[in-house]
This record gives sequence, structure tokens and C-alpha cells, in this order.
Amino acid sequence: MFFYYLRLSALSYKRNPVLSTLMVLAIAIGIGAYMVVFTMQHTMGGDPIPHKSDQLFHVSLDTGDPERDDDPPEQLTYIDTMALLEANRAYRQTATSKFSAIIEPENPEIRPFASLGRGAFADFFPMFDVPFLYGSGWSPDADQNREQVVVLSQETNERLFGGNNSVGETIRFDGALFQVVGVLAEWTPIPKYYDVNNGPFDEGEELYIPWYLIVEREMSRSGNTNCWKSIEGTGFQAFLNSECVWIQYWVELEDSDAEAEYLTFLNNYANEQKALGRFQRELNNNLYDVNEWMIEQEVLPDETRILNILAAMLLAVCLLNTIGLLLAKFLGKSAEIGARQALGAHKGSLFIQHMIEAGFIGLLGGLLGLIVAYFGLEGVKILLGNARMQTEWMHVDTTVVTVTVALAIVCTIVAGLYPIWRACNVNPSIHLKTQ
Amino acid sequence: MLQMNNVSKVFRTDTVQTSALKDFSLTVDEGEFVTITGPSGCGKTTFLNIAGLLETYTSGTYLLDGVDVSQLGDFQRARLRNEKIGFIFQSFNLMPDLNLFDNVDVPLRYRGMKASERKPLIENALESVGLASRMKHLPAQLSGGQQQRVAIARALVGSPLFLLADEPTGNLDSNTALGVMELLQEINDKGTTIIMVTHDQLLAKQSQRNIHILDGRISTGDQAEALAPAAEVA
Repeated sequence: MFFYYLRLSALSYKRNPVLSTLMVLAIAIGIGAYMVVFTMQHTMGGDPIPHKSDQLFHVSLDTGDPERDDDPPEQLTYIDTMALLEANRAYRQTATSKFSAIIEPENPEIRPFASLGRGAFADFFPMFDVPFLYGSGWSPDADQNREQVVVLSQETNERLFGGNNSVGETIRFDGALFQVVGVLAEWTPIPKYYDVNNGPFDEGEELYIPWYLIVEREMSRSGNTNCWKSIEGTGFQAFLNSECVWIQYWVELEDSDAEAEYLTFLNNYANEQKALGRFQRELNNNLYDVNEWMIEQEVLPDETRILNILAAMLLAVCLLNTIGLLLAKFLGKSAEIGARQALGAHKGSLFIQHMIEAGFIGLLGGLLGLIVAYFGLEGVKILLGNARMQTEWMHVDTTVVTVTVALAIVCTIVAGLYPIWRACNVNPSIHLKTQ
Repeated sequence: MLQMNNVSKVFRTDTVQTSALKDFSLTVDEGEFVTITGPSGCGKTTFLNIAGLLETYTSGTYLLDGVDVSQLGDFQRARLRNEKIGFIFQSFNLMPDLNLFDNVDVPLRYRGMKASERKPLIENALESVGLASRMKHLPAQLSGGQQQRVAIARALVGSPLFLLADEPTGNLDSNTALGVMELLQEINDKGTTIIMVTHDQLLAKQSQRNIHILDGRISTGDQAEALAPAAEVA
């Protein structure tokens, strides 16, 4: 009977095309608007590395200004970073920060160009499950020996080597030659959870080098630097010795015991620093796993929550309209419903028939809603598409299509319950006589 | 086959209480052609709706083919309607979006029959009313008389025990009405019981038995006897 009812639904649509189209439009607008917000939340708020997000921790040490009652800084000082690195207490660990450099291609046909890179440790790649197209990350020895090695992004490799396997080749930037040890496959985690405080929706870096080289070569740093205390002295070494925070520090800890041990280690370290006259605030050191860190950093903007409420309200208004239109449509079919009862339909079968009809309208509304959502997202991209945020990732994907259509069908069926109940409970004898 | 004893039907609103049928008793045997006449508002259609299980009654007993219908739920009543009763309405009540084949198909769909079983039954039913050649037409493409023939085919397709016809010629001109009446006579001659509500005295005279209703009761006055001397008043 399902396909029979589906056919009746299509015929019913043809019989009242204006009323039916109004319902489809109402659902499409409501669902489409809601899906724009859903897509933003779905992409912005999703777990970017679900299989190990509870094992990766952002390290937070409260080295802030004792005169202020603000949150601990998001990054670490060079002094603390070096201390944590030397202690080497985590299963895996990496300090990481951004730099900028001018790449000077050997090919004279390619003009030098500016690029953003990331300094990291060998553990960075296995910690964050970074995929490789060619080669791999560098070894821990390369970190210690400050080897001039580099991992290229896929785009950079395309630009410099035409997409060929460039492992073993060298490239020149920052006035020195670096040997390529690996080329990344496509890797654009959204949000960019390993660096949310420099822009959770920024593009990935074009180069990756051992982090020590940034310090050793005094490379041009990129990204946030915050200092609560004036730098004592001049020059790069004075900066390194300062209380300026500019390094992010991530550790991989295998279980909750390891997490507790590492936090104890952090607190002990903080107490030592207190004894030395640093870390003058109350102990407030933290380990945030990936999802906690994104919440802490408010990766999902407040505006999306407000938008969510507004979109839900619009959807509710559209569904209320749909209830009214469905009521008009189904009560207009009272004579047919009466005739079907006379011919042997029981109320249950009539209820199912009209639920399928409501679902059919919902399906059409959902499909049209996808178009509304597509254009809505294009509008959001125009609104948000500034230097602060890359928006290419906001698109209608399989999840959005599935949720849109399913939500439209379910919402329309729910909206149709009262009209269907009313229509199926009319006294058939009245309508059979008065048609 | 149809047995009503002291059936009453009271319609109640907040302020008004109306008795549509009062202690109504009637027995219709298999193969009969019974007409129900009476002035407007006398309870004819109420009787037909109760007989057709489209309406419940307030008191009394009603046995349909030996089954006490008072205890039946919606599902069982629908099944009885589908298997034992054929309806013919004054305004035909065809589904405007469905062609003739699909209109006649409706009761068989609710019976859960396979397509291969339904098809010959539908074709035979339309053949029997002379519309086999137009089974792909929509109701709107037919005359009123033809539409009523489709309704009769639809009522007959499931081989019901009896037909309930509510003013089946009420929307037809006199010539067409006679044609429909002849068709009903033929159906009755083949053994199908027919109970027909009508205002038309001429049509009533053509039935085996006429029941005249007045104020919700079966009238025992002259009119009923004059119309059908053999009438049995229960």
C-alpha cells in the first residue's frame, strides 16, 4: 500500500497545486534557514579527531599578570616550553608556533612568494594523524640536531614541484636550503583544533620545519604574541627570556592516569617557578582535551547560537503555517475520506495514507529546502568571507542533505498529525450525503 | 441477513437532542429489493448509515449477517463494510483523480488482494455496467449516468452481500434514472440484496418491498401499503 499511497499523494498534490506548493515553500524556507545554521554548527562544532580527541591535550600554565584576574594565557613562554620539552613527561609532545618566510624557487619561472609555515616537533605528525602523500615527518634526531628539513603541504608541492614526489629535493627559504622529507596529503581539519587561538578556520600551513629552527635562525614569527610584562633588554634572546607567550604546547596522554600524572607534574613545575618568583597567581594550570579546548576558546561563535534560536523560531512559524494549510487541505478531502471509509478503509489506514501524503509534501519541501540552504550558505560566506575566516568548508554535504530531507519529512508529518487526526475523525455520513 | 430490533438514534448537541430513529425494527432477507421512502428528515439516511456501519446507534440491536455489530471496533466495522456491503451514493462519490479502473479498484485495495487477482474483477465489474472501454477515463469525462454506473461497478466489484443505495438517481435526469434503476433490477435479479433510499415514488414501486419512514419510525399508514402491498412491516 505504500506506493499506492505515494501515488495518491502525488495525485492529491496535482489536485490542489497552489495549496500544496504553498506548503512546500513554507517547509523549504523554514528547513532551509535552519539547515544553514545547522551546517555552520555541524562543521564548526564537530569533533575534528574523534578517535583520539580525548588523548590530545592542550597545556595551559597560568603565567599571567598577578595584578589581573583574567584567564590563564593560551600559550606558553619560551622558558616554560623548554622546561616541559626537557622534562619529556608525555607519551608524545610538541611545541608549535607559526612563522613566515619567502620561498625562493630554484625554477626561475616561478617567482619567489611569501608563505606561512609551522614549527613543530617530530611527534606533531603522529599526534595529529597528519596524512602523507610522499615521505613522512622528520625523526626526533632531526629535532635535536636542528636539521634543516621541511615537510610541504600538497599545494606547496604542487606549486614548486608540479605535484611530483619531491622527497629528497631541496627548497630555499629564509636564506637557507631545506631538504624535503615529506609531502602532506590533503589535510584541512575543521576547526584547525591544534591552533584555534590563531584562527580556528584559517587554512593550514604551507611548510613544516623543526621548531628549534625558528629559535635558532630567529625566523620571522607569525601568530599571536602576548606579553604582560615588559621585555627586559633588547634582541631576540631578551624576547626568549621574557614572560611573553607565543608557543602552543600539546601532549598526547594515553589514559586518565597519565593525564592526572602530567597535571601533577605541571603543578609541581609551577610551584617551583613560584619559589623562584615567577607564577605569582594561584595555581590554575590545566590540560584541555581537543573538545574542551575548543569550548574554552569559544570556537563556535555566540552568534551561531542566536542564529540557531532565530532559525528554530522561523522553522516553527513555517510549520505552524503548514499545520493550517494541511488542515485546510485534509478537511477539504472529507468527502473522499468518507467514501474511502464506506469502501472499507479503517481509520488507521486513512491515518497512514495521510501521513505519507504529509511526508511527500515534506520530501518536496526538503528538496527545495536544500536549494534554500545552498543559497543561504553562499550568503553566509559573503557575510563571513573576510580575512579572519576561510569559508570554503561551508557546503552542502551528504550529512546536510540527509538531515535536511529527514528533518523536513519528520517535521511535516509531526505538523500533519493534528490535521490528519481531524480529517480521519470526521463523520463520513455527513460528507457522503452533502458532497 | 439484516436485522434491526428497536434501534434508536439520538443526536445530541449542548442544547438540542434530536431522535432520528425511534425503536426502528426491520428485517431484510437475502435477495430482497427494498426501498425506503419518507419525507426529508424522517431518518432514511440515518437508517442507511447505521445499516452501512457508518454511524453508530444509541440503543437496540443490529445483526448484520448474524454478527452483532454493537461490539465491533473501527477495524472490524471497516472490514465488514468492505466485504459485505456495497455503497451507492446520490453524488456518486468517485475519486476525481483516479480513472475508472482505479476507482473500482479502491475496495479491493483495502481487501489486500494482489494486483493479478484484482484486475479481472475490476474489468468484469466495469463490463457489467457497460463501461469496460472507458476504464482509463477520469470521472469528469463521463456523464452523470455513467458516473453512477461506475459507482455501481465499484459497489459490486467485491461481491458484497447487499447494496445500500442512497438516492442513487437523485442527481440524474429521468431517462438516465430509469437506466440506472434497470441496472439495479438486473443486479438484484442475479441475487444481490438491495436496500435503496429514494424520494421517487415510481422507483419505489418497482421494488419488492417499500418501507415508509415517518419521524424516525416505520409508518404503518396507507402510503407504504399503497406503494407495495406486499410490504412487511417489522
